[in-house]
Amino acid sequence: MLTISQLQFTWPKSSPPVLTIPKLHIARGEHVFLHGPSGSGKSTLLGLIAGTLDCQQGVIEIAGTNASALSHGQRDKFRADHIGTIFQNFNLLPYLSPIENVTLGCEFSKKRRQNISSQNKSLEQEAKLLLSDLGIDEHTQQRSVGELSIGQQQRVAAARAFIGRPEIIIADEPTSALDADSRDGFIKLLFSQAAVYSASILFVSHDKSLAPLFDRQVSLPDLQRGAPLC
Amino acid sequence: MLIKLAWKSTLNRKASVALTLVTIAISVMLLLSVERIRQDAKSSFANTISGTDLIVGARTGDIQLLLSSVFRIGHANNTVQWQSYEYIKAQRGVAWSIPISLGDSHKGFAVLGTDASYFSHYQYAKKQHLTFAAGRPFHNGQEVVLGAMVAKKLGYQLGQKIVISHGVGNTSFHHHDDNPLVISGILAATGTPVDKTLHVPLSAIESMHSTGHSKPSRMIAQKQDATHHEHEHEHEHEHEHEHEHEHEHDSKNNSALLHNLDSKPGDLIGSTKQITAFLLGFDSPLYTLQVRRNINQYKGEPLLAIMPGVTLRELWEMLDIVEKILLLITLAVVLISLLGMLTSLLATLNQRRRELAILRSVGARPWHIFTLLISEAIFITVLGCIFGVALFYALLIAAQSGLQSQFGVVLSISALSTYELMLLSVIIGAGTLIGAIPAARAYFYSLADGMQIKT
Repeated sequence: MLTISQLQFTWPKSSPPVLTIPKLHIARGEHVFLHGPSGSGKSTLLGLIAGTLDCQQGVIEIAGTNASALSHGQRDKFRADHIGTIFQNFNLLPYLSPIENVTLGCEFSKKRRQNISSQNKSLEQEAKLLLSDLGIDEHTQQRSVGELSIGQQQRVAAARAFIGRPEIIIADEPTSALDADSRDGFIKLLFSQAAVYSASILFVSHDKSLAPLFDRQVSLPDLQRGAPLC
Repeated sequence: MLIKLAWKSTLNRKASVALTLVTIAISVMLLLSVERIRQDAKSSFANTISGTDLIVGARTGDIQLLLSSVFRIGHANNTVQWQSYEYIKAQRGVAWSIPISLGDSHKGFAVLGTDASYFSHYQYAKKQHLTFAAGRPFHNGQEVVLGAMVAKKLGYQLGQKIVISHGVGNTSFHHHDDNPLVISGILAATGTPVDKTLHVPLSAIESMHSTGHSKPSRMIAQKQDATHHEHEHEHEHEHEHEHEHEHEHDSKNNSALLHNLDSKPGDLIGSTKQITAFLLGFDSPLYTLQVRRNINQYKGEPLLAIMPGVTLRELWEMLDIVEKILLLITLAVVLISLLGMLTSLLATLNQRRRELAILRSVGARPWHIFTLLISEAIFITVLGCIFGVALFYALLIAAQSGLQSQFGVVLSISALSTYELMLLSVIIGAGTLIGAIPAARAYFYSLADGMQIKT
């Protein structure tokens, strides 16, 4: 699903490369835990995969497409079609309802809208279904975003990432604001939903205690040194 | 989609957006009001007199003569001898003439002494003649014809008797209270200073002054208050040195008073010696320049003849710089309000970087972000303009009567003119340009930040 080979990235005006990844492969439906200390280049790697940063050297292949060879505009479109994202915090637009926040995931992607319409469902129906599957009841779906708890907000963000069946979900420390119980519950919900959609998950965190929940864990510093993957 | 997002995002920042809207709306209202008043004041002035070829008065400035004789602004310092008037109006080519004698007032409204030619030859706007809403022209020195606004404001009706004061202004202490005049006619509204004028025969002016000036001046208490609107019975209070000669009437007395108006046309001129100015109309425009030259070289006394159109143009040229400065000031106010919007958008932009990152994560391209931001600026500017136009019309309605009564400027409550729509387009264009600054900044933020939320 995701294959990175011979990737190297250097920030402008900074001589040593911040990221050097000889090889990384994530299979379809695989849940990978990527960890590393602050400043190790986790966010940079996510930016490169999502296509907001230019890949200077190497290849990033996602769902059979060499994403690193695409233009800026093509990468934006590719991201909208194939990648769902969950952020650490502040995931939702405060002026949209929970359902509008979920359907926002399809607004810039024709492919994701088609994925939904091919199942004879409307965007709103799909959003409601996803929210219900992720434990947001109908009453909560009608409330304003500002009234939702952090946990509920993260689940709405997860629904937005999954809507339209993107092939890969990037989660950037989405549980850091949750307590241990909520955190485990959220990850399990994420996995169950990923299983329904056969989506791969690249979960980034510095909290190694989460690692056992995943199919595989990757240490970014080890990855950069070319060490064998766990 | 982007428009919907822009709209919802704008609504989400109600307080700051509302403040920006208010400042834009007020500045738009100010700009439109200044422009409308400027245009309408110009057309009000231009409409005041038409069909008059020359205005003749004692030698003074061209503009001063025009303002004092037609617009009742300022005073004429000197007079024209009656014999000069008689001589000039007998010149070849003179089709008609209207003598004008100013200087008296009634409750702040100007009193104009003239003769019957005023009602047949005076023209305003597009060569329209004066018409009577009620009654008829004066027939003798005891009758007065009111302008529409005088009758309306003071609640006067046909047949009522009124007293004229000497001098102009609202609080004249010298009343010609021994010469009460009967209202014989009320003119239809013209939207010109005629509406604010009381017209009396020259003989009335003369008789008032000959009697009034022969007696010691008397201090008359201002007893003419609003009560005369209330149809009280006619009272007459006479004291040794104080007279209240304003007669009230009610509907019962109306017919009796109107009976008094069965007068026959009589002497309107009397033995008038001086007038303030006179208006001349010619059989052919060819005579205008020739007679004008003759008048300006008249040996009998120093006189000045002006062509109203030319002098009005000189007046506009003189006021042009003031108009331009006024326009510049209002445009500066509009610019300041738009800069207020810029400040507000820029101030919130940093807080909105996470919003931009979320949009980028779902596939929004930098130009989407640019469009979103600029759409917000356009929304705010357009809404500000809409509210500004609403405020402008509210102000027009509120100020209409005041401006007409105080300055004789008739405001037209009409749809926005092409020029005003063009001004609004310029404001919206400027708002869009100014909105492009935060939009461009957001564009570059979104390029640099990508999906990393930096708050």
